[in-house]
Amino acid sequence: MTGNKRIFIGSMILVLLLFVAGSHSAEARPERIVSLGPSLTEELYMLGAQDSLVGCTTYCRVPSDKKNIEKVGTVVEVNLEKIVSLKPDLVLATSLTDLRAIEKMKLLGINVIVFPTAKDFTELCGQVLQLGRLVGREKDAQELVSETKEKVAAIISKKGDRPPRTVFVQIGTKPLFAASKDSFINSVVEFAGGTNIVSGSRSGIYSREKVIKEDPDVIIIATMGLVGRSEKRAWEEYKTLKAVKESSIYIVDPYKFCGPTPGNFVSALEETVRMLRIKDE
Amino acid sequence: MNKKLTKWFLWVGLLIAGLVAVSLFSLSVGSAAIPIKKAAGILMGSGSGTEHTILFNIRLPRIILGLAIGGALSLAGVILQGIFRNPLVEPYTLGISGGAALGVSLHILLKLNNLTGLAGYPLAGSIGSLLVIILLYGLSAKKGILKMQGLLLTGVMISFISSSLIMLVMAISRTQDLHGIIFWIMGSLEEPSWTLIKIMLSISVVGLFLSYFYQKDLNALILGDEEALHLGVDVERAKKGLLILACVLTGCSVSLAGIIGFVGLVVPHVTRMFIGKDHRILLITSYLLGGTFLILCDTLARTIIAPMELPVGVITGIFGGSLFVYALTRKRVFVGGGS
Repeated sequence: MTGNKRIFIGSMILVLLLFVAGSHSAEARPERIVSLGPSLTEELYMLGAQDSLVGCTTYCRVPSDKKNIEKVGTVVEVNLEKIVSLKPDLVLATSLTDLRAIEKMKLLGINVIVFPTAKDFTELCGQVLQLGRLVGREKDAQELVSETKEKVAAIISKKGDRPPRTVFVQIGTKPLFAASKDSFINSVVEFAGGTNIVSGSRSGIYSREKVIKEDPDVIIIATMGLVGRSEKRAWEEYKTLKAVKESSIYIVDPYKFCGPTPGNFVSALEETVRMLRIKDE
Repeated sequence: MNKKLTKWFLWVGLLIAGLVAVSLFSLSVGSAAIPIKKAAGILMGSGSGTEHTILFNIRLPRIILGLAIGGALSLAGVILQGIFRNPLVEPYTLGISGGAALGVSLHILLKLNNLTGLAGYPLAGSIGSLLVIILLYGLSAKKGILKMQGLLLTGVMISFISSSLIMLVMAISRTQDLHGIIFWIMGSLEEPSWTLIKIMLSISVVGLFLSYFYQKDLNALILGDEEALHLGVDVERAKKGLLILACVLTGCSVSLAGIIGFVGLVVPHVTRMFIGKDHRILLITSYLLGGTFLILCDTLARTIIAPMELPVGVITGIFGGSLFVYALTRKRVFVGGGS
C-alpha cells in the first residue's frame, strides 16, 4: 500500500513539475490583443507590445499611422461582433466594460482579463506587472515599474520635508463631485505630501459648505475648458478661503490625473508637488 | 365573417413574413461584414468558425430575445390599455419597471453580483418587480374588487417613488458602480445566457397563449365594466387574471433586458390603427409586430454608428415616436372613430 502511495505521490509531483516547466517554457506572447481601456492601450505601448494590438476603443490614443488597429467600440459599449471577427487571443477589459459583454466573450472561449481601475500607485505597479506577464514581456514590465518607482522617489526626495497641506480635488460640477479615497488622483495627492480633505467620504458628491469649513490650502480642479475656469471663479468668490488668498486654485488635465498609467502618475505627481509648494518658499 | 377571417389570416401571414424578413436582414448585417450568400450558407450548416460564432452566438440570440421581449411588452401594452381603457397606459406606467430597476441598482450598490454572478441581475430585477406587483395588488384590491383608477394612480406613484429611490442609490454609490446602473436602465438585448433567453421566449409565448383565454372578456371590456358584466363576463376575475399576466410579462422583460421604452405603448396603437380593435386578432398581431419592431430597432442600434453601439431605447423612441406621430396625422379617422 505504502509503495503504491509513494508512486502515486511521486507521479503527482512529476506531473506538477512538468506542468510548471511547460507553462514557463511556453511564455507565449499573444499575437492578437484587443484593449478595451485607454490606459491599458497606453501601457501596451510602454511595454513595447503595440505590434500585437489589433483592436482598441475609440477613446484610445494610438498613432495615426497604425491603420490596422480596429476600433471596437467605446469603453463601456463594445461591439462583440467586431471583437470576435478580429479573432483575438487576449482581450483586456476594464471595470467599465459591460459585464454582459465580458460574460459573452468568456462563453465564446475568448481569453478575457479584467483590469479594475487602479486606485493607487501600488495597485498600478501590480497591474503593469500583471499585464507584462500576460503579454509575455515581464522583463519590460519590471523595468518600467522600477524606473517609475525611481522617478517617483526622486520627485519625493527633491521636494524634501514640508509641512502637510490640505487639498480638495474637484472632478465634477453640478453636483460638486470630489475625488474620494478610492481614486487614483487621491493617491497622487498623498504621494505629493497632501492630505485630501474628502478621503473619509465614500461617495464623491460633496457639500460646498463643508469645503469652505475645512478650508483646504489648495484646490485642484480636474475639468478642462470653460467649466473649469468658471468653477475657479466660483471658488474665488469665497475670499476667506486660504486657497483663494494664496491663489492656489489650479485647473489640471483630467486625462493626466484620472488615467492611471505609470507615465501619467509621474507627471501628475510632478505637477501636484509644484502645486502644493508654499508660495513664499 | 368568412371575409373577416381571410383578412385576419392575411394579416397574420403578412406579419410572419415581415418577422422572418427582418430577422434575416438582422442576421446578415453587422459590423463584421458577412455577405448574405455566405450567411445563407452558414445557416444551412456549412461555415467556418468565426463567422459561425458571430451568426449563431452573437446575432441570433439578440434576434430571439428581441422577438420575446418586443412581443411580451406589446402584448402587455394591449392588455393594459384594454383593461384600463386608457390609451396612455403602457407596461411601465404601473411602476413594475421602476421596481425592477430599483432591485438591480440595490444589487449593484450592495455588491451582491460578487456572490451571484451575472444571473443575479435578472434575479434582482424580478424580485423588485414582483414586490411592486404584490404591493400594487394588495393596495388596490378591496374585498376582491380591483379599483382600476386607484390602481393606476398607485402604480404611477410607485413608479415615481422608485425613480427617486434609484437616484438616491446612484448618489450614494461609488463612481465605478454608477455606469453599471445607468447602462442597465438604458436597456439592452445583449444577454450571454442561452438558458435565460429560452426561458424568456417560453414565458412570452405562453403569455400570448394564455391571453387568448381572455380575448372575449377584453372585447367586452371595451364597452365598459358594466356592459361587460351584462354580457355575462366575470369582470373582476378577468381583470385580475389579465393584470397579473401583463405584470408578469413586463416584469420578466424588464428584469432581463432593462427598460426598453416605447414598444409597449406604440405597437398596440399602431396595430389597432391598421387592424382594428378586435382583440381576437389584436393580441397575436401586436405580439408579432412588437417582436419585429424591436428586432429592427436593435439591428439599427448596432449598425448605425458601428463599431459603436447605441442603446436600443434610443432607436425605439426616435423611430417609434416619429412613426407614430406620422401615422396619427395620416389616419386620424381610425383613432377617433374606432375600427
